[in-house]
Amino acid sequence: MKTLAVSTLFLLVAPAQSQESAPIDFARQVRPLFQKHCYKCHSSKEQKGGFRIDAHRFIEFGGSSGKPIYVAGKSPESRLFKFISGADPEKVMPPKGDRLTAAEIALVKAWLDHGAVWPAEADGELAKDPRFDHWAFHLGAQPKPPATMHKGWSRKPIDPFILARLEKEGVKPSPEADRFTLLRRLSLDITGLLPSPEEVDAFANDKSSDAYSKVVDRLLRSPHFGERWGRHWLDLARYADSDGYEKDRPRPNAWRWRDWVIKAFNDDLPFDQFTIQQLAGDLLPNATIENRVATGFHRNTLTNREGGIDPEEDRVKQTVDRTNTTGTVWLGLTIGCAQCHSHKYDPISRREYYRFYSFFNSLSQTDIPAPTPAQQAEYDRAKKAYETKRAEIAAKVTPLIKKYEMEKLAAAQASWEKKMANKIVDWRVLEEATKTSTTSGVKIKFMKDGSYLLTGASPDRDTYTITIDTELAGITGFRIEALTDKTLPKKGPGRSGNGNFVLSNLSVTVQPMPDKIRKEREGLKNPAAAAEDETEQELDLADEELETGNSPARKVKLQNASADFSQRNFQVEKALSSSDKEGWAIAGQMGKPHTAVFETAEDIGFKKGTRLTFKLVCNYGGQHTLGRFRISAISAPRPVRYGKAKLPPNIANLLKVLDAKRTDAQKAELAKYYRSIDSGLNKIRRPLSAHEKIAPKASGTKAQALAESGYRQTRIHIRGDFLNKGAKVDRGTFGVLHKRLEKKEGMPNRLDLARWLVDAKNPITPRVAANRIWQHLFGVGFVKTTDDFGLRGERPTHPQLLDWLAHEYLNLKWSRKEMIRLIVHSAAYRQQSRTRPELLERDPNNRLLARQNRFRLEAETVRDVSLAASGLLAPRVGGPSIRPPMPGDIAKLGYANSVRWAESKGEDRYRRGLYIFFQRTVPYPMLIAFDSPDSNVTCTRRERSNTPIQALTLLNDIAFFECARGLANRIVKDGPKEKVERIRYAFKASISREPTKEELQDFTSWFEFAEKEYAKDTAAAVKLSGQPKLPVEEQVQLAALTVASRVLLNLDQFITRE
Amino acid sequence: MDPIQEHITRTRRNFLATTANGLGLLAVSDLFNQEGLLANESLVNPLAPKKPHFAPKAKNCIFIFMAGAPSQIDLFDPKPKLNELNGKALPKEMLKDVRFAFIKKETVKLMGSKRVFTKHGQCGMEFSDLLPHLGTVADDICLIRSMHTEAFNHHPGQLMMNTGVARFGLPSVGSWLNYGLGSESRNLPGYVVLHAGRGSSGGASNWSSGFLPSTYAGVLFRTKGDAVLNLSNPQGISPHMQRHSLDLMSKLNARRFEQIRDPEINSRIASYELAYRMQSAAPELMDLKNESKATLEEYGVHRTEGVTGRGGGSGVMADYSRNCLLARRLVERGVRFVNLMHASWDHHSNLDRELASNAKMCDQPIAALINDLKRRGLFEETLVVWAGEFGRTPLGENRGGNPKTTGRDHHPYGFSIWMAGGGVKGGQVIGATDEVGWHATEDRVHVNDFHATLLHLFGFNHLKLTHRFNGRDFRLTDVAGEVNPRILA
Repeated sequence: MKTLAVSTLFLLVAPAQSQESAPIDFARQVRPLFQKHCYKCHSSKEQKGGFRIDAHRFIEFGGSSGKPIYVAGKSPESRLFKFISGADPEKVMPPKGDRLTAAEIALVKAWLDHGAVWPAEADGELAKDPRFDHWAFHLGAQPKPPATMHKGWSRKPIDPFILARLEKEGVKPSPEADRFTLLRRLSLDITGLLPSPEEVDAFANDKSSDAYSKVVDRLLRSPHFGERWGRHWLDLARYADSDGYEKDRPRPNAWRWRDWVIKAFNDDLPFDQFTIQQLAGDLLPNATIENRVATGFHRNTLTNREGGIDPEEDRVKQTVDRTNTTGTVWLGLTIGCAQCHSHKYDPISRREYYRFYSFFNSLSQTDIPAPTPAQQAEYDRAKKAYETKRAEIAAKVTPLIKKYEMEKLAAAQASWEKKMANKIVDWRVLEEATKTSTTSGVKIKFMKDGSYLLTGASPDRDTYTITIDTELAGITGFRIEALTDKTLPKKGPGRSGNGNFVLSNLSVTVQPMPDKIRKEREGLKNPAAAAEDETEQELDLADEELETGNSPARKVKLQNASADFSQRNFQVEKALSSSDKEGWAIAGQMGKPHTAVFETAEDIGFKKGTRLTFKLVCNYGGQHTLGRFRISAISAPRPVRYGKAKLPPNIANLLKVLDAKRTDAQKAELAKYYRSIDSGLNKIRRPLSAHEKIAPKASGTKAQALAESGYRQTRIHIRGDFLNKGAKVDRGTFGVLHKRLEKKEGMPNRLDLARWLVDAKNPITPRVAANRIWQHLFGVGFVKTTDDFGLRGERPTHPQLLDWLAHEYLNLKWSRKEMIRLIVHSAAYRQQSRTRPELLERDPNNRLLARQNRFRLEAETVRDVSLAASGLLAPRVGGPSIRPPMPGDIAKLGYANSVRWAESKGEDRYRRGLYIFFQRTVPYPMLIAFDSPDSNVTCTRRERSNTPIQALTLLNDIAFFECARGLANRIVKDGPKEKVERIRYAFKASISREPTKEELQDFTSWFEFAEKEYAKDTAAAVKLSGQPKLPVEEQVQLAALTVASRVLLNLDQFITRE
Repeated sequence: MDPIQEHITRTRRNFLATTANGLGLLAVSDLFNQEGLLANESLVNPLAPKKPHFAPKAKNCIFIFMAGAPSQIDLFDPKPKLNELNGKALPKEMLKDVRFAFIKKETVKLMGSKRVFTKHGQCGMEFSDLLPHLGTVADDICLIRSMHTEAFNHHPGQLMMNTGVARFGLPSVGSWLNYGLGSESRNLPGYVVLHAGRGSSGGASNWSSGFLPSTYAGVLFRTKGDAVLNLSNPQGISPHMQRHSLDLMSKLNARRFEQIRDPEINSRIASYELAYRMQSAAPELMDLKNESKATLEEYGVHRTEGVTGRGGGSGVMADYSRNCLLARRLVERGVRFVNLMHASWDHHSNLDRELASNAKMCDQPIAALINDLKRRGLFEETLVVWAGEFGRTPLGENRGGNPKTTGRDHHPYGFSIWMAGGGVKGGQVIGATDEVGWHATEDRVHVNDFHATLLHLFGFNHLKLTHRFNGRDFRLTDVAGEVNPRILA
């Protein structure tokens, strides 16, 4: 409710309707005052402070301060009133010239107090802003394909649009490309792989009328379609496998989202669903794992983990990136420009920018368990097998258990009860720490009762390291008491606003007590020297660049955590997991002390004294750190559980009650407990428990996902500076686009936003999306500036066709496969790509589409086609990213040797380029050489450069040399025997066509030269073939075929889509 | 000006007039003649030499980058007052609104320098005792003591100094210069990176071409193995076979051009020929056998000491000397931009020991480089820059409240860099910081100003060297920057 009130307060566009009866006539009474006193500086001519007051639509844009100029119904809160009334002598308006008279001020005040009714339609001409009329902001009905003079050419409704334009220019379209070219073009465009020589022949010889369609069908059905088109999407998503920035830590779970994308393309998930799931899959009703995996789209933003970074600054940067990326990918607008000031060219205000930003301002990042569908199926299968086997074993064991129960159990329990009766070992609070530290730098105060209290500023996250030297040994459990304190919020025990905390991890290390401490305690101390030593070490350890090294300390294995109370989903055992987002918390029971107990797996402690180092990690964030705590240890027999001793409290109490006085229920409770610890019974159960130990585990696969973390109020950042906060804003979209995003109840969320983006009325998104599909099939979009459909972007070359396709996309229910099928069947697509010298002058960039375009393949595809031609390609789809061979000194360029590049083995060396692990600060050199995006910001179209580094890569990089050798082996294995036929085969395997007569001649004579060379130099031949055991003639053949293949795989046309 | 666009529109150039003139091999050029390819004028070579906006002073740049942020207080900017106040607290109002990476504000103390500063040269420029060799070329150096920046974490800071914006994805200085001026080198890339020691925070993003084509990216020359990645032919392929292979490729490519008339094919032929020439030019470049013993000694190429601490271990001194010498050899061969990277100046602790070691590593060879350039007449047209991403605090770092301080934290408010050669007025100090070295106070030079001045030396109006990306014209100086006329000779 509160947020609703706020939103009304700032909803300046629609003045309160309830005030219709206001006695002030805006047009007659108020506007003339504005005209007289304000227009000089704040109208169409000039906008001082970035502000215009001559028409209502500009009020929404606000000024540079980001604060609203008035609040309808509340003159005292309205800056307009404050300015004109001179409330602040520093800011009086107008600053020069005649001030408003008292009567005029009173009139404006009354107008404001009566709801500031401003009939926007009355603004008329004044509100005219040609920016709003920009073509991209309005989409009419689906245009009809125009009439053309030439009737026979068109195959699809696309074609008349193109032909009509060509006819207007007096240009004829190009003839249809030959079959070889078409097949290679289709294969590269749809799957990014090559047709096999057999497929080349088959298509060349298929005389049926639907030969072309059959190929398209086959390619669209291929699982490699998702890889090819998924990769295009990864460019937009700035996908990478590491964090970026200095530390650039790996993101081992990033691939899971990448696989979701591949599958979504293969399943032809409609673009609207594709959008909704990625932007808001977590908010869908009954969200599935796959829905949540989809939200990984916006997990691809960079994370800066450099020491000394301000976490809020980084969070804001991430949010800005998510906002801007969404604007570019779905709206084709450079909304990011409005981050510091209203957009210079497009009608996008800074206020609107932050309203849009607000959708992404309440996100939390988690890595969720996300078995792939295949892994889940495998688990279900294993689980079933396990259950069957378990039942078999149980059938054997159960009678034995029954027998034991009948004959021995009662006696064993009686003897245990007797033994336990006088054995209660109590907790001992550990002595004052030798050393304490916090990562945040706040102070830890040791209290009289043996507890530790945190003081000073309350950090977002913290980790306490408590080093205690103790004489205790034989420790079987530790107890952490979270205690209240009057200095803590709501008395604690936590430091978050409500007194809660999250202990995300507890770890303990143990080592012998240092000699100097022991000696100190024995009275032989030399404190000065000791202190010196410590400080030196402390400093070194504190340095961001050094990790704690070879400490003799050993990690204590903790198990069987228990507590007096745990919040739902924050059970105490989660304090033993390493995730920052999981841990022990106590919501619902704040303001009271709580206790957690952790059993040690083995007895801890040294005879000569023990040093224990406790690390209490409170990294959940939001100040959920522990405020006061106490650490105790115990040496009671296991199991050690919460309840002051080794026994659960109920059992301990029961033991105090004499057997005769126990009720039946109590007897049963005790017996039940005893059964769980009886060694005899355990021995009989052993076959069963052994089997239980091999119970199948759910896959450990995780996915990077996003979720809502509670509403965070957005404020405008003045000049884009996150520390310089302006007015509060609510969520909203851009006024220049289709209908405002509305929600009847509560605040609109990302789901509403995603639905708004793919709304049928959206004038821009279907065009942006259709333009991109076109771009991938023609090398360039109708709008070349795919990242900018705004006023500064290029206008579409074929506006009508773009609009037709945008509508068609909706007609096809956002099916990408159908759109691709449609476009590749057009006559325009099927044209030759031969440059037409007669058109070079008029249309150097082929914007008229009088031919297809010819362009170099993308980086990953260059690798893929080489692998495909060589026969080495491992076609497996999906899975964790791979690391092909890379020279060691390249990885070393990463910060402080932190980048580890463990070369992939086996078939992983030969997988497609999109699976290469993308380490942001040290990208795989081949990818960068061929203009793959650096994955730091969204990339809507790639550069296509042509450099000597590319030449060296294709000629000499080990991966490409292996491909040349692979093709040679393939020719020998699968190809014909005769020399010239082999050359033909090699052409078909690489450039997917028959060589011309001249080419064949050139190539054959060159090949003969190579054969002679290697016959002379058999040592070189062996090196090339890599198979020293073969007979010499075969070596020579292989060597000659390898260098010949290397030539083919380096030809311009090999890495070009024609 | 958008040089690519401009170039494409006025690209009616003769094929052989561009870098393709290295096509060299008679057989290939014969083929072109036969096939009438020479008549094709639409070849686009993005690295063809281009003219800047006005007459430049500098042609080449050697950009010495000390990643990690060297302490200006212990090298370039003596602060007697700071030494006096050693151990005192900084006035509270100075700490207001100030952010630190690691320092704990509450207990922080000023920390003087243990260094001894002396005057050098006729100009009397002061350097610390860690830079004795640099002192000998003081009259050639323009020292800027009033640098400032916004970024105070390493990676953003490094991006700021190398690309003008503290964000990923933008072109580095060397990329802009190659984009604006093209390359004069027939056989080598226009932008070469030499690296010693371990990797920096920014990694390869410090020499990335950002949104510009990879043509303009820095090419890393390696200290071990092939000088350039993939420079050597695979085993079993002799130079002879390589030449013949390239001939066949060119022939087949030219035949394809005949059929399909795509000028890009000619660019491909040219880039393969340049690659071929690099295969001999790069090893020749790296081979120092023709350098005199005196030269090698002057640079310290055979030094055996290592660099202390995290500076990089054994061999780094010699590597660094070699890189300085290679920088001169690269410039001699027409390479436009040489980046000398070294990444270990982040002295949060053990400052005295590690800074001394790093300074020892670079002091002698950099002085040698300047003298060498002067002797060879290259100094006038070669701009030498020495810079880190920001400076270090006059405060001792007390991370975690530790009272014992042996290092300094990150400091963006005032730090020093220097420039020399290529149109720079040597023997002068620009700007100053306040008494304790906290803020740059006089003649302040922002990183964007420094870049504007650098571009000016190369004949560019920094406002006009732009590239359209994401709906906006980007430039090296982002949305700011002014040329500082005092720096110019």
